[in-house]
Amino acid sequence: MKRAILSCNGLDKPEGSVAREVAIRAAGITGSEIICPVLLNRAPARYKKTLSESALIVVDGCSTRCATKLAGRFEAKVDRRVLVSDAVKASGHSLEPALNLRADGLALAQAIINQLLHNLDAPAEVAGPTSVFEAPTEFLTVTHDKFEFRIPVVDYLFNENDVWVRAADGVARVGISDYMQQRLTDISFFDPPKVDASVDQFGELGSLESAKAVFEVISPVTGKITAVNPAVIANPALINEDPYGNGWLVEVKLTNWPQDQELLIDGAAYADAVQRKAAEE
Amino acid sequence: MSDTTFMGVARDKIPWFPTIDYEKCNFCMECDTFCPHKVFERREGERKLVVANPNNCVVFCRACAKACGPDALSFPNKPEIIALIKQLREQESVK
Repeated sequence: MKRAILSCNGLDKPEGSVAREVAIRAAGITGSEIICPVLLNRAPARYKKTLSESALIVVDGCSTRCATKLAGRFEAKVDRRVLVSDAVKASGHSLEPALNLRADGLALAQAIINQLLHNLDAPAEVAGPTSVFEAPTEFLTVTHDKFEFRIPVVDYLFNENDVWVRAADGVARVGISDYMQQRLTDISFFDPPKVDASVDQFGELGSLESAKAVFEVISPVTGKITAVNPAVIANPALINEDPYGNGWLVEVKLTNWPQDQELLIDGAAYADAVQRKAAEE
Repeated sequence: MSDTTFMGVARDKIPWFPTIDYEKCNFCMECDTFCPHKVFERREGERKLVVANPNNCVVFCRACAKACGPDALSFPNKPEIIALIKQLREQESVK
């Protein structure tokens, strides 16, 4: 896979300086071209060929995520991504407020590189599905203006955060509803949760990004994450194409299913919720 | 928006919405640009951004905080809010 690196330029914050260092090291290790975000913004024709031929390693400094937004604007394919300010939080230390990198910033940059470029030739660092679920066949349809939202009526339960769950033999498969995928429009990136991590009901199961919005996947269940859909990591558009089938996101080994269900709603009740939400937009 | 509900509970009884730390906020307006639910409003004066429509906030969504460069947005403790919702649902079912 040919890659290119799109990074925060890092001129005004220590996190940006770390992002820049990560980009330079990643370019050296992978032999990838670095895309200048300022030039991309000003003269995109310069990078037209690179963007069409490469998958991006995106390095954001802070939560403003300029690099991610640029990648979204040019509909670039993203291979992997890191947010330095998250890595700082995860490290449990704060960076020294200096723009020239000190020892702590350099160490953090190397730690980020180790994680970011781990398993470089096998980008889907995910366990495959552990269960077999048949695609739904019966749907309710909610119509609003020119839009139609489909909701499966058998086997699927929902939370009011537009996330569905389907459970069998102690394992649940989770994804987002047709209504939410249409609201997000073309989904360009799925930032998955870590396999083997635990999640509480209403905790976070990663996030989705489109040019229009970022969507936190709010877990409908409690348990341990056993799989992330590798097909969706490789091709997030699957979520738009088939949100209840091949566009599933994660699988969770259930640990509190009887209680979880008390706070979920069935397809008919979710259809009412969708009708209400669509009317409020 | 007091007529809306979340999980069967009146939305205005669920205190889930962002709080702006004005010591950190640089009024870049990324959160306001990002949020499709019009939770924030821009104002004249010293505090150029306020949480004007807290009940528009999607319960459990913290996406605006992730768009905030200076980390100036905070949300309530999620398990406490879940416990509150469960309690309110029980009260509602007893009525």
